[in-house]
Amino acid sequence: MKKTLLSALALGVSMVATSPAAFAIDPEKDRQQLVDFFKAKSPKIAFDDYKDGGYIYSADKRAQWEAVEEFPPYLDSVDAGEEIYQQDQAVYEKCFGDDPSNVRGHYPYFDEKTQEVVTLEWAINLCREEAGLKPLKYKKGDMAKLSAFFAFQARGQKVNVKIDSEGAKQAYEAGREMYIKPRGQLGLSCAKCHTYNSGRYARADLLSPSLGHTTHFPVFRAKWQELGTLHRRYGGCHQNMRANPFKAQSKEYRNLEFYQAYSSNNLEINGPGYRQ
Amino acid sequence: MNSKMKQLLTALAISSAVITAPVSVQAADKPAASDIEEGKKLAFSRSKGNCLACHMAGDGAQPGNIGPALIAMKMRYPDKQKLYNKVWGTDDSTKVPNSMMPEFGKSGIITDDEIRKIVDYIYTL
Ligand code: HEC
Ligand code: HEC
Repeated sequence: MKKTLLSALALGVSMVATSPAAFAIDPEKDRQQLVDFFKAKSPKIAFDDYKDGGYIYSADKRAQWEAVEEFPPYLDSVDAGEEIYQQDQAVYEKCFGDDPSNVRGHYPYFDEKTQEVVTLEWAINLCREEAGLKPLKYKKGDMAKLSAFFAFQARGQKVNVKIDSEGAKQAYEAGREMYIKPRGQLGLSCAKCHTYNSGRYARADLLSPSLGHTTHFPVFRAKWQELGTLHRRYGGCHQNMRANPFKAQSKEYRNLEFYQAYSSNNLEINGPGYRQ
Repeated sequence: MNSKMKQLLTALAISSAVITAPVSVQAADKPAASDIEEGKKLAFSRSKGNCLACHMAGDGAQPGNIGPALIAMKMRYPDKQKLYNKVWGTDDSTKVPNSMMPEFGKSGIITDDEIRKIVDYIYTL
């Protein structure tokens, strides 16, 4: 079971690499295959738990993490995010409606008009710019706080990313290719760390599974001592791979988020999260 | 393109072929103690070998467990050249599908001489 899934994923690599157009992927089958892969890899871990990242693999680390989550260091930032929201509430209500708990769950989505993946952070800046407000920086600070506020309001809802057009499928495939194809001097890919080796240690870091990667962002990292967005993390991982990172909210990273978020469908939204 | 530039490019192509094709470094039977010591530093250093990211090795602190522990290397690699080739990533070395093991020489991550010293070190484990 495990073997065939592994080789199916591996096959995906070479097919995508040689002929992206000729190899059509069915996103829903692909997602199911990923879920099955993790189930075969760790039969005792329940699907719903994948929202908790690497902590599902270690009772010790999980206990430490749960202790921190009792008095989470990100709560001040969520409050700050609410203030940022209230400052320009009329602007945001015009774009997102008047229920802030009904926002996070709609992103990312594929916009048919522009043929682009729209992430929450991207939408926030589109909204601000249309109202003549200054766009916020994407990796941390006010943007991360505002995003944390929306995530906090949406806790408990399920990830529900839809793919129902050719364009959306192509965005998914582009994100998937970015995830699977080796990049950078060390010959590593996201999949090598977060699919094949999740649950193992890279030095002292417990590698998280890709399934559920997007549920809890933005994240307050002990190492950062502040909130950071998903795309900040993507850039960090690309740097560790000795690959050139893309810009936060570049088309590449929006597609990658679209792929990862779709893969995480049906998991609970539990952002913001705390991570080591 | 002028012919001088062409010559230069061909020369470059040839010399880089020499660098990437044969692995000429001889695995010495009796390496100097200083080489072993240096090899250990290189193996542990995050910016060089960073072997500890994935392997347990000697007394290295907080090793990862993505790859197998580097122990009993002499027993497992009676032919030291084969060990060198694995770390370098020569075409005839063992290839494991989807392996995380970087090809340190082939990808130009560190120099051949640095790899030689690292191999001298892990051969003592
Ligand atoms: C060399 C190994 C390695 C590679 C390759 C790698 N990462 Fe990571 N990644 C890590 C480590 C270590 C962490 C921190 C521990 C953890 O949460 O997994 C991490 C964390 C993350 C997180 C945060 C997880 C969480 O629960 O907060 C995301 C998301 C992520 N990586 C995505 C990616 C993507 C996408 C790629 C490819 C562009 C990638 N990573 C490539 C090692 C890697
Ligand atoms: C990013 C992870 C990673 C790093 C860094 C890494 N390795 Fe590996 N290594 C692996 C994995 C995974 C394997 C097992 C699969 C294989 O043989 O390719 C492996 C296999 C090996 C083997 C063969 C093991 C055996 O039992 O025969 C040797 C020798 C080795 N590594 C040495 C090194 C040395 C020396 C370094 C540092 C210069 C290093 N590795 C750095 C992941 C890594």
